[in-house]
Amino acid sequence: MAAPTKSSISTKLTMMNMLVSGAALLLACAGFFAYDQITFRQNLANSLSAQAQIIGSNSISALLFSDPQAASDTLSALKNSPNIASAGILTADARSFAEYTRPGADESLAIPSLSNDQVEDYRFGRTHAVLIRRIQSDGKLLGFVYIRANLHEIDERLWRYALISVVVLMVSLMFALIVSAKFRQSVADPIVALADTARQISRDKDYRVRVAVGGERDELATLIDSFNEMLREIQQRDSELQKAHNELEQRVAQRTQDLLVANRELEAFSYSVSHDLRGPLDAINGFSYLLLKNYAGQLDSNGKDSLQNIRAAARRMSELIDDLLNLSRVTTSTMHREEIDLSAFARSIMEELCREAPERKVDFITPLRVEAYADVRLLRIVMENLLRNAWKYTSHHEHARIEFGEEYGGGRKVYFVRDDGSGFDPRSADRLFQPFQRLHSAVEFPGNGIGLATVGRIVQRHGGEAWAEGSVEKGATFYFTLESRQSGRQSRTS
Amino acid sequence: MAAIGSRLGGMRSLAWLSIAALAPFLPFLPLSAQQQHPTESQVKAAYLYNFGKFVRWQSDRAGNSDFLICVLGKDPFGALLDATVEGESIDGRKLTVRRIAKVQDGSSCSILYISSSEESQLPSILSAAQHFGELTVSDIPRFAERGGVIGFVVQQDKIRFEVNRGAAGQSHLALSSELLKVASKLYNKAVGQ
Repeated sequence: MAAPTKSSISTKLTMMNMLVSGAALLLACAGFFAYDQITFRQNLANSLSAQAQIIGSNSISALLFSDPQAASDTLSALKNSPNIASAGILTADARSFAEYTRPGADESLAIPSLSNDQVEDYRFGRTHAVLIRRIQSDGKLLGFVYIRANLHEIDERLWRYALISVVVLMVSLMFALIVSAKFRQSVADPIVALADTARQISRDKDYRVRVAVGGERDELATLIDSFNEMLREIQQRDSELQKAHNELEQRVAQRTQDLLVANRELEAFSYSVSHDLRGPLDAINGFSYLLLKNYAGQLDSNGKDSLQNIRAAARRMSELIDDLLNLSRVTTSTMHREEIDLSAFARSIMEELCREAPERKVDFITPLRVEAYADVRLLRIVMENLLRNAWKYTSHHEHARIEFGEEYGGGRKVYFVRDDGSGFDPRSADRLFQPFQRLHSAVEFPGNGIGLATVGRIVQRHGGEAWAEGSVEKGATFYFTLESRQSGRQSRTS
Repeated sequence: MAAIGSRLGGMRSLAWLSIAALAPFLPFLPLSAQQQHPTESQVKAAYLYNFGKFVRWQSDRAGNSDFLICVLGKDPFGALLDATVEGESIDGRKLTVRRIAKVQDGSSCSILYISSSEESQLPSILSAAQHFGELTVSDIPRFAERGGVIGFVVQQDKIRFEVNRGAAGQSHLALSSELLKVASKLYNKAVGQ
């Protein structure tokens, strides 16, 4: 949007004022001048007529007694009228009887002829006017009198009018200029202020600004009021929105805090429960062992089986408690992130697994080095869980293949552990990382459903996420990401 | 015609055009104006009638009677004068010409023309005319100077007239200044002085 210059509206107003007043004045001057011309001509004609009448009636005796000298004397009285160029008396048969010509006057405007019933007639030329009148006595035509008047005065009046018009025009335009300055204050300035404010608001998005209202209650003031009202409304909504937002954030923070506290309490509870469960479990395990060792002879095979079952159950419960304590530690222990090689972890874990079950034929594939910036102890747990899982779920296959590596997707590094084991139903993929959720029966594959939950928790603590892809008997791939070093430094560590 | 006149310059052609413009009305002009060279008698007859227009006549003389122009003595005008005043009137009174032999016969005359034939009896005639309140006019030389009201004179081949205001006053006649203006000479003497 091109910023309008401050002068545009003011200039337009000023121009409008000047044009209107100038045009009105010129028209008025022209009208007055035309009227004056008409009046002047009429007056001149009347004046010439009166003079012709006087001369005519004073020339009756001169005409009757054929005395041109007396007529000339009468005519010579006209020398006191400077605008009379010439005059004359004609006899009834139109012969010149007496004449008067003003010295220096030269004109040739023809005398109009009078028709039978006309007493007088006149004509206006460019520089002169001429009037002719009958001289009558007792209803008889004695002769004619004519008077020529020059029209210098008309020119003089024209010039005088022009001068006055110019002066009045100048004064009026000055006045118009002053008036338009006043109008600019009351019309243009508020509009300019409004435009400026609107521009400022659209630029700064600051809705606290208000446009100042002038003293006059006109449409402009209404416009400004409405504009201000709009701003007030926007500001109010803005602040309400901000307030709601703040409240929401506060509530979220509060809830998070509450949740954190509840979670800690829960974890502390589960830790203490797990810990406290260990004592009785060790007692069960120890005494059942002593019973089996010292009283084996007194027990039949059924009793021995029952004792073995008790011991197996106690061992499973011990593992469960270990896992629970692990999960709890994973959640609460402090983290020390550093550059580590996940590939090395993977190789040592796989070696360990191979030692435990040397009869299995498993191909393990991993790059020489897979770097990560993470807590050594926690990532060891992650790798252990994922690889043990893969190991476990490929146990029914004669020949298995397990792969660990890294790939790039969506602008980040993604680690993966892939196996060609029994896989899982993809519809249940989102339940994998929840604690105590198992997709396979304990008889089919032993486990307590805590491992992947632990993995999820650790990855989460590293600012990453974990997910899985797979299908039944087609193998599974577990993916996880970790917060990179840069973004890890930028965000605050918890 | 007026348009043509305005296009042509100069006073001379203008005069001609003016005459041409007036030509259709010439039949209505008075007889004296119609003729290019009026005779001396014609002029005098016209003047005699015109004098009546420049005098304020006493109202008791008015009434419904005719306005009489009387010719005393030998008549130089003949029928010419009658033709001149034919159908004319002054102050609403019909003009009539009467020829008289003695001044006493013209007691009701307003204008009295005294023929040159009566020069010898001039003082008595003037005295009587004054008594009757008559405007006396004559061709007799130095008539105005000798106590007449208006006397014809010839100057540069033109008929002029002299006026004696004193004589007019004695006859209780008020002469118009217009008349005095065109008089060739003014006197202010009473009769017999």
